[in-house]
Amino acid sequence: MVLIRVPRPPKSAYDPDRPVGSLLKSQVEHMREAESKLPLRYRHEIETYVKAVRTEGEAARYIQAVHKAIQQAHEEADRERRGLKPAPTPKPVIEIAAVADEAAERKSNSARKHPAAKSQKSPRTKPRKK
Amino acid sequence: MPPGLDRLQHIVVLMMENRSFDHMLGSLKAVNPKIDGYVDGDAYTNPDANNNPVKPQPSAKFQGQLQPDPDHHFPAVDLQIFGKGSDPTANNRQPNMQGFVASYFNQQRNLAHSQMIMYYFPKENLPVLTTLALEFAVFNRWFSSIPGPTICNRAFAHYGTSFGRVDLNPIYPPETIKSVYTRLIHNDPKRTAKVYYYDTTSSTMEVANLLQNQPELFGTYKQFLQDCDNGDLPDYSFIEPNYSDHQSDSGALIANDQHPDHNVRAGEVFIAQVYQAIKNNPQLWESTALLITYDEHGGIFDHVPPPGCVADKFKADGNATGVGVDFHFDRLGVRVPTILISPWIPAGTVENRVFDHASIPATITKFFVGNYSADRSPREIAADIFIEPQGAAVDPARNLLSLDMMRADCPDFDA
Repeated sequence: MVLIRVPRPPKSAYDPDRPVGSLLKSQVEHMREAESKLPLRYRHEIETYVKAVRTEGEAARYIQAVHKAIQQAHEEADRERRGLKPAPTPKPVIEIAAVADEAAERKSNSARKHPAAKSQKSPRTKPRKK
Repeated sequence: MPPGLDRLQHIVVLMMENRSFDHMLGSLKAVNPKIDGYVDGDAYTNPDANNNPVKPQPSAKFQGQLQPDPDHHFPAVDLQIFGKGSDPTANNRQPNMQGFVASYFNQQRNLAHSQMIMYYFPKENLPVLTTLALEFAVFNRWFSSIPGPTICNRAFAHYGTSFGRVDLNPIYPPETIKSVYTRLIHNDPKRTAKVYYYDTTSSTMEVANLLQNQPELFGTYKQFLQDCDNGDLPDYSFIEPNYSDHQSDSGALIANDQHPDHNVRAGEVFIAQVYQAIKNNPQLWESTALLITYDEHGGIFDHVPPPGCVADKFKADGNATGVGVDFHFDRLGVRVPTILISPWIPAGTVENRVFDHASIPATITKFFVGNYSADRSPREIAADIFIEPQGAAVDPARNLLSLDMMRADCPDFDA
């Protein structure tokens, strides 16, 4: 039997900015449910982010963060069961580039219009990870 | 016992996304008339918004055609199956598969665009899927479990039921009905099972509850490839594709689930890689059966009316279905492409028995556990099995791994 050639998709097929479809939205929702059952220290507190997910790339970032948090929670529970010292668990942070950038822009515009507002913090966004 | 069944140690299921049988494999009827697809000249059409007949066309593209995503929620599939003007409250409705164009027209009110739902792939454009279908066993009557979307259909592959759900909402299975994986790992003697998701960014679909409670059941696709290389594959493996375009450590990853509007060629490559991973290990190849299937039809046309089936013990009420009447899970969803692969299957095998995704836990449980006395759904209990159990008197008419000698002429792909 001869070797059958399998054509590859073009690089242009890649589009993480594609609008998120109903299936990925539901997967995000399922992961949010799973996240809500994790101990507090593993949660991302990004309800706002979940509702703001617009693209596949944004959905993927959230799904990955929760997936890793679930894995981390189980690894820690396993360490506890074995009587090992818990590893330090930094508070998980997701880079919410789009939302943060928009917020920064809003803040910047607001500061230009209302100089007194310059020092106010946005309550809806978290600082971006350095 | 037939040697193929005697040597069978591993069953692998790969479930892709949202493509119908006729859309992917219908063109094969021209090559093998036993395959119930579509050839030019067949009578099947769908009426458009002006009641003009629309024929299936071999014009499907890999990407950029099915935008927006064709509706495949319960009410839309009801229209697709029963046609315009059908009253869901009427008794004895007969499915006619006349509502695909009407359903897609409802999304954009664009006559030309609505006809694209009748497009199918020429055989040459899907060299992996069509070659595997012609070289091994293709199922003429494998239907999605529910006339609805992904999540509830995937639940049938894991649990043999969707616990009354017909939508995309999270499912919280009651303790009584165990997943097929739990059945295997808690069996005596213990069996092994794994869900291989693509990566942590794609994660798992429908079984987030299992990921949360039984993470030991899960592994990555990379681990699947390693397990194939090392001969460490579990008894049962369920593989999930990549559901999203995203960045990974190795760069940009294109979704390979074939869900519209993801690139179909990426899925072809993925299917070929899974196949080659098994085939490249000779010990694994002779002792493994690979089932490739799709969760549901994704709103795309198929000409075969789904049959009725045994009702489940759960029901979805009229509010949940969105059509005003209860659904008792007593009929199947639209037909999907399904292929069983093993070097013990004769080339050109076409299976005509009726299956749906409940056949997956039914087959796996029967094969690896035997007589399973704990709770299972009526749908799973009634579902046919696609691999006969070992040790029993085997009916040759039902055994697909029927060859006395292992084939040496199976195809290879440059995946």
